[in-house]
Amino acid sequence: MNSVSRRWFLTATAATTLSVTVAGCGSSGSSTSSPTGNVDFWTLQDPTNSVQKAAVDTFNSAGKGKVSMTVIATDGYKDKLRTAMGSAKMPGVFFSWGGGSLNDYVTAGKLVTLDTALESHFLPSALAAGKVGGKLVGIPCRGTQPVFLFYNKKLFADAGVQPPTTYAELQNLVKVFKGKGITPFALAGNASSSWTELMWVEYLVDRLAGPKLFDKIQGGDWSQWKDPAILKTAQMIKELVDSGAFGKKFGSVNYGAGGTSTLLNKGKAAMVLMGSWEYATQLAEAPDFAKNGLGYVAFPSVEGGKGDAANVVGNPTNYLSVTTSAAKQTATDFLQTTYSDSYVQGLVEKGEVPVTSNAAQYLTKAADPAYAKFQYDLVQKAPSFTQSWDQALGLTLGTPLLTEIQKLFNGQSSPEQFVSAVLAIKK
Amino acid sequence: MRKQRVRDRAAPPTLERPGVAWAVPGLLFFLVFAVAPMVGVLYLSFTHWDGLNPPQFTGMENWSRFFGDSQVWQSTVVTGALLIGNIVVQAPVSILLGVWAAGPQRNRAVLSALFFLPLLLSTAATAVMWRQLLDPNFGLPSKFEWLFGSDPMGTQQGAIACLVLVTTWQFVPFHSLLYQGAARAIPHTLYQAASIDGAGRVRQFVHITLPQLRNTMITSTIFMVVGGLTAFDIVLLLTNGGPGTDTSILPFSMYQTAFRTYDYGYASAIASFLLLLATAASVLLTKLSGYDKMTSTMEGL
Amino acid sequence: MRTRPNYLAGAATLVWLLIIGVPLYALVNTAVQPQTTYTDKGPVSIPDTVTLDNFRTVLDSGFLQYIWNTVVVAVATVAIVLALAVPISYAVVRGRGWLTKGVFRLFLLGLAIPSQAVIIPLFLIINNLGFYDTLWGIILPTAAFALPVSVLVLSGGMRDISNELYEAMALDGASPARTLLTLVVPMSKSAIATTCVFTALQAWNGFLFPLIMTQSNDNKVVTLGLYNFVSEYGSNVPALLAAVLMSAVPILVVYLFARRALVAGLMGAGGK
Repeated sequence: MNSVSRRWFLTATAATTLSVTVAGCGSSGSSTSSPTGNVDFWTLQDPTNSVQKAAVDTFNSAGKGKVSMTVIATDGYKDKLRTAMGSAKMPGVFFSWGGGSLNDYVTAGKLVTLDTALESHFLPSALAAGKVGGKLVGIPCRGTQPVFLFYNKKLFADAGVQPPTTYAELQNLVKVFKGKGITPFALAGNASSSWTELMWVEYLVDRLAGPKLFDKIQGGDWSQWKDPAILKTAQMIKELVDSGAFGKKFGSVNYGAGGTSTLLNKGKAAMVLMGSWEYATQLAEAPDFAKNGLGYVAFPSVEGGKGDAANVVGNPTNYLSVTTSAAKQTATDFLQTTYSDSYVQGLVEKGEVPVTSNAAQYLTKAADPAYAKFQYDLVQKAPSFTQSWDQALGLTLGTPLLTEIQKLFNGQSSPEQFVSAVLAIKK
Repeated sequence: MRKQRVRDRAAPPTLERPGVAWAVPGLLFFLVFAVAPMVGVLYLSFTHWDGLNPPQFTGMENWSRFFGDSQVWQSTVVTGALLIGNIVVQAPVSILLGVWAAGPQRNRAVLSALFFLPLLLSTAATAVMWRQLLDPNFGLPSKFEWLFGSDPMGTQQGAIACLVLVTTWQFVPFHSLLYQGAARAIPHTLYQAASIDGAGRVRQFVHITLPQLRNTMITSTIFMVVGGLTAFDIVLLLTNGGPGTDTSILPFSMYQTAFRTYDYGYASAIASFLLLLATAASVLLTKLSGYDKMTSTMEGL
Repeated sequence: MRTRPNYLAGAATLVWLLIIGVPLYALVNTAVQPQTTYTDKGPVSIPDTVTLDNFRTVLDSGFLQYIWNTVVVAVATVAIVLALAVPISYAVVRGRGWLTKGVFRLFLLGLAIPSQAVIIPLFLIINNLGFYDTLWGIILPTAAFALPVSVLVLSGGMRDISNELYEAMALDGASPARTLLTLVVPMSKSAIATTCVFTALQAWNGFLFPLIMTQSNDNKVVTLGLYNFVSEYGSNVPALLAAVLMSAVPILVVYLFARRALVAGLMGAGGK
């Protein structure tokens, strides 16, 4: 080999490498499809999938276009969605939590603005998180999911106590159950389930300072984390943890897999703060307990707090959005199923409380009318319904926030450190 | 006459030697799917990219953030701690097991088959299995609290210990196989000579077995180092980098930044750093093991 | 010859047996119990009720498709690696000149490179080549990253073939290709076996690549399937562990039919 061919070879190698890299880093174009083509529908895995499938099947048989439904498990749904939205294979219609999670997609021009005529079919408060910058980009497709306290009725009866209505009562209950060797609150403290710890923070902040504080943060004013209510919340949480409210093992407990739900129905924990879907989870895991032993009550008030004790935190609902790669006509027609009678009825049968304007009449026929009415009243009477913070903020801010919350609960950060760490997330 | 023939055949015909063309297909393949991405990572580390819009060039922004980020330093330390922990635990166990299994006794073959079982499970399957088994309320810790403590994954030491436990459980069978194969190849004559000289079991082990296993120790260590730098699924499934960020090893930190915070540019900076560490490790290991000298181990035997 | 039984070794072996055996027992134990009762007596007890329902649940969810996909990925990856690494190793060992030495150094450098570090640009490349959400998106990168170890092992094996044999082939007037096929390949069988086993295991254990490069259910591999089951069967722990058990079946099959080759392949890398 002489030096010329050596140089040639090295140059060729470098050129290949560079061109492949550059070609790879270019943005990919999305294909446009005919208006009445097929639509790829992505949804989260959960008990209501059968209702969605029924709606899809009915739609497909009506012959106005074809929708194919892909169910994706919770762990990684958002990652997968994000990856797909950046690739050449965007889904046509997808399920999301609205709010911050849709922001990025709207900014990147990937979503189709929906017809405002659809709005009349839903409760106004539920539509809020489906709008970005005033434009409707998502319509409700599920029931509302407020967060509240679930408790084991038998354990309470045995201890002779009532579920708490004030924070002081809550602290007392911690002592009572601790004395009986029962973990007062089940908590999934493992790093993959930090969103369960987030719920505590959300409620305490809301009770102390009202919903406006987080509103401002969501609106972009990150310095609001300096508000004394945040520090007080962190201190209250430290007190709770130190007083043994969550037991000593919560750092290794997961949500789901033999975790918090099992602790509750096996009587090892007395209460758990969770979203309304806990009912369906218990129904699948321990049907007897779900029907007879599961109690529920709103999160207690906090003395001296500015927030209304009727405020609610959670997922207002979930939304369906349409992307620019979808067959427009098919997708729009498909969206109409979300307020069809059969769909709403199906949701109610699964224990959901839909937020459509025609929902009320079906609630009496729910599998557990008392539970349905409880949720509906809770949401209807709530002066405000704050969306889960990690959904509202979007993952870029939400993921580090969850990590900091985890550290607070684990005792790795002091309340002061928590505040400064959260402030440091966004410069 | 013979001498003449030898002289005629002075230069071996060049047809005999494979030329460059033989290596080209594999080389191209490697370039496209391995080297080009490495260049890409370096390039992306100088950009800001969120996965939806085209990447924007931002110069040194990611890197200045990188050098001031205590989280990166912590991730590196944790990666190192896990690596060392794994080597320190797995190497002795594997050597002892491997040498034991190389023995001729019958029962050893049966037990060896049992010891092989963890290899049937993929790393993800093992991690999922242990995730359940380590549940503090319903898994092994609930019955064996004296061994696991009450909250095995709630502290950094506990979480690291759990990761080392699971990795050991999964990979010792593999490494002990390496040692078993090598130990079988040690000539019996060496041991016999030592016995005659009056050397006991322990002395034979230290002065005969271990030195003969040197090559295997190097190979085994190489695998452990590579494994330590890529052990991603175990962390994801078992601890998710927690508690907090206590077990966020570098690959996990990179994944988290990229796919859960959508900051692909900064994640690429972390990835470039990981590449640097790995290349340094590669160079060090090949120098130590003498692999690049291309001499056969059979020579002189 | 040792005549005294080695008590220390015996005790240590017993401990290790427990370490291996107890978790496996807990695994099987939980997998055969129904969801409602598996927590009653703890993981190392004797179960009251035994059922095979969990396995049915897992099969119903399309688990066989995942296993099939994984097998396809493993076989394809091994095929590509052999097709590429054998010629490279041959060139490296028998070739002359700066190029072959340089190529060897390049692959050595890539030995410890973690494939995860380059996942982001790799995703872009795969996407732009049109392989996103196909099994090729997994196969191609996995094969590429398996090349360094394979080249190392194969060249090690080929080096051991003595020069005289090569010269004998040269006397016959054999071309490099013929030498490769009739001399080198048969004589490097153990190195090839090792390469096959390692590469197949690499493909089998692959997690991050499938996680990022595939999305639809049809293209899932077993490791991803298990990851999904963690949230899918969140509360159904017995079903989850049944899935773990079932994921071991393919390798168990290989072990039963090709035990010698499998074990020899795994051991093979140790001696060099």
